[in-house]
Amino acid sequence: MTPGKSHLSQSEFFDRLEKLFSERKGGDHGAIHLSQKRLKNTEDTDMPSADEPFPDLNITEPHSIVIRATNGKSKKERDSKVRISTVVKPEDLEEFYTRYADICKTGMTALKPRDRNKKKLKAKKKKNAT
Amino acid sequence: MPCFTTAEEWLEQSKLLLEARPSTTRITTKYSIKPARRPRKEARPDEEARPPRGTLVFKTYDPASGVVLKYRTSKAAEVSRLIHSSLGRLSRGMAGVPEPPAEEVMPDAPTATDTGNADSTAASQAQPQPPVGGGGGGKKKKKGKK
Repeated sequence: MTPGKSHLSQSEFFDRLEKLFSERKGGDHGAIHLSQKRLKNTEDTDMPSADEPFPDLNITEPHSIVIRATNGKSKKERDSKVRISTVVKPEDLEEFYTRYADICKTGMTALKPRDRNKKKLKAKKKKNAT
Repeated sequence: MPCFTTAEEWLEQSKLLLEARPSTTRITTKYSIKPARRPRKEARPDEEARPPRGTLVFKTYDPASGVVLKYRTSKAAEVSRLIHSSLGRLSRGMAGVPEPPAEEVMPDAPTATDTGNADSTAASQAQPQPPVGGGGGGKKKKKGKK
């Protein structure tokens, strides 16, 4: 999954992510895929060797993280496919995730709201009591 | 392909996987919406359609070793906790940043030795324990009630 475009700035990424979520609102199907992985430094040796089976465990400095988001469209629908990505520096992680969680929380509207569960629990309790 | 029943378990296992394979492991989060299924009985056409339900699947995958760890939820209440604290904490491991002191109040947790530097092996040994209790604890307690 290599992005065709370069990484977006964080604020731009958030704007686009919000848009992505709002496109899903009201619809009855669809998906949003988010992913995150370490951004490899260019000088890193990636291939494990006999002397060093886990080169990635001996890093000297923290890495950045790539965050990607797509609307899950396949190759066939490439025109409507949205793919965005951004890079988060290790020192920005905390700030990024606060905002990220916020957007996800407001965007994921089709999940079960809390109230529903409470009602169910109450109903169950009543049933048990009688 | 294990799908964990509690978020804590998933978090713990994912953390261990990231410690072992920090550069190849990735975490994907899939939010998907599907039309609500009607109950098989009483599938009346005049019945008001139920709103589509979304699910959220967290998957930690390491292509090098082929390990997949999943957690699935449909509760909106879990979203911000999972993304902010769980994903946030895992991403620190992914980035190789030493763990800051745990945010949750854990009275008798072993104090993480302050490594101070970015040495990854030292940081991974100083992992604080995952929060126990929290959201998952409520249900279990009820069983004991008579």
